[in-house]
Amino acid sequence: MKRIFIDPAKCDGCKNCTLACMASHSDMTPRKGTLEELRQAVYALDLTDPATQSRNRIISDGKGGYKPIFCRHCDIPNCAAACMSGALEKNMETGLVEYNSDKCAACYMCVMNCRYGVPAITPDRTRMVKCDFCQHLEEGPACVRACPKKAIEVREV
Amino acid sequence: MERFVIIGAGAAGISAAQVLREFRPNDIITVISIDEHIHSRCMLHKFLGHERTIQGINFVDPDFFEKKDIYHIPCQTVSKIDTEAKLVCYGEGYNIPYDKLLIATGSGFFIPPIPHFREAPNVFGFRDLSDALKIDEAFGKGKRVFIVGSGLVGLDAASALCHRGAEITIAEMAPRVMPLQTDDYAASVYQKVFEDHGCRFLLGIGASDAVVDGQGNITEVILSTGEHVPCDFIIMAAGVRPRIQIAQASGIKAERAIEVDDHLRTSAPDVYAAGDCTGLSGVWPDAMAQGKAAAENMAGIDTPYEKPYPFKNTSNFFGVTMLSVGRMDLTEGADVIVHKTPKEYKKAIITNGKLTGYLSLGDISNHGLYLHLIKNGIDVSDKKDKIFRLTFADFYGINEKNGEYVYTV
Repeated sequence: MKRIFIDPAKCDGCKNCTLACMASHSDMTPRKGTLEELRQAVYALDLTDPATQSRNRIISDGKGGYKPIFCRHCDIPNCAAACMSGALEKNMETGLVEYNSDKCAACYMCVMNCRYGVPAITPDRTRMVKCDFCQHLEEGPACVRACPKKAIEVREV
Repeated sequence: MERFVIIGAGAAGISAAQVLREFRPNDIITVISIDEHIHSRCMLHKFLGHERTIQGINFVDPDFFEKKDIYHIPCQTVSKIDTEAKLVCYGEGYNIPYDKLLIATGSGFFIPPIPHFREAPNVFGFRDLSDALKIDEAFGKGKRVFIVGSGLVGLDAASALCHRGAEITIAEMAPRVMPLQTDDYAASVYQKVFEDHGCRFLLGIGASDAVVDGQGNITEVILSTGEHVPCDFIIMAAGVRPRIQIAQASGIKAERAIEVDDHLRTSAPDVYAAGDCTGLSGVWPDAMAQGKAAAENMAGIDTPYEKPYPFKNTSNFFGVTMLSVGRMDLTEGADVIVHKTPKEYKKAIITNGKLTGYLSLGDISNHGLYLHLIKNGIDVSDKKDKIFRLTFADFYGINEKNGEYVYTV
């Protein structure tokens, strides 16, 4: 399986990954999702709309250091173990923890059970939001390609 | 070839069946259940509210049993287990032999000893699909509903039925709604949103008697205040009890719950128990985890089971979301910090430098770490000033080998 590896020492807090994530999940990005297409989509984002959500976060320590928080698609995913609707499931072939929003009952047990605080909720309180590894983009995770510092990269585990 | 039998098809039973199949691809696995359809009891309100079909509240694939080559014997009641001959006795005189057995019978609703309540045909629980089907049928005949208890189950039932135009009265013995999860303020927010949808609450009031008709159906509930409340049927949501009848009938140690050791073994050889019937916890994730641990032990993989931390829940009624972790009621000698804005309400209880309670009403995104901090008694005494803004970045660590996170404290 693949995982996005993080090197926090390389992160300079630019949040390009965050914007790329928002762009990737907006309807402005074509399926191929090249870096240039993502860049253009960023400018079409409405950043004042609470529904424009990122699946990753960069936390500043206030002293020039940054801690990227990305879904680990854990080997033993607590979010999926807590899911009472079957909406979150670990795909044993790809290793990804996948989300089926049609099944989701918005009970938010996943939010409570992720010890890293990754799952978020939608502003209308009907769905959860987490990393989907940009499976809808042919070129893969937007965040990784958008990082100018190579602080995040996809590796085989 | 080994024969595994599981009694019960709820969270614990199904999770055990799934894990057993992973470790034992060629052995025989059988699940016996009272239920005809696999369903998530946490989604019963979606069914009762007519938002979803029976299939829509299934938490596994529709062809789960076929795909995993597991025998399912539905609609059958187990009467006892012959622990000597290693047989499960069910239905009208049928037996099924086992090498390893799991009891995952869950818990059932409890009716307090109020006159007429235990006998009346129009008093229902709200635990299983069969309960929801009975309520659905009763609702076709009358829309005045009396609910006893305003915990998560009671409110689930209320939210489902007020979507369908019911006239609902909820009696709660405690002075506020959802007394285990809320404080006074959070409770008032939920109370208001339910009242806005037409529910009426009677707080600090219990049902003490009833008026019945010729068939024994309750037509009026008599409150502890003496007031009479007319109703068409009653939903009991005043707590649950582990289902231990099978264990008790079989000489397996069970007083209030089925006794298990740290490997989820019961007092009978090769008989395990998992989920609500063990009385260890009453929440979905713990039942899943127990089913998994029991299954691993049954398959011969030594898996000690650590006692779960049971004080945790999330709720979402009419879009009002709340996360409540730890003991909100224990505040003696504690620092209680409150943050309140028009959109959010948060409360942290810190005892001896450790977080012991955390409540958040509003946007609960990214709040999972609070359960971890409370469950593991992690010291936060130097983080009090940003207790509501803690993130995993405050405990950041990475396992270089596999890229997963680890807590650094």
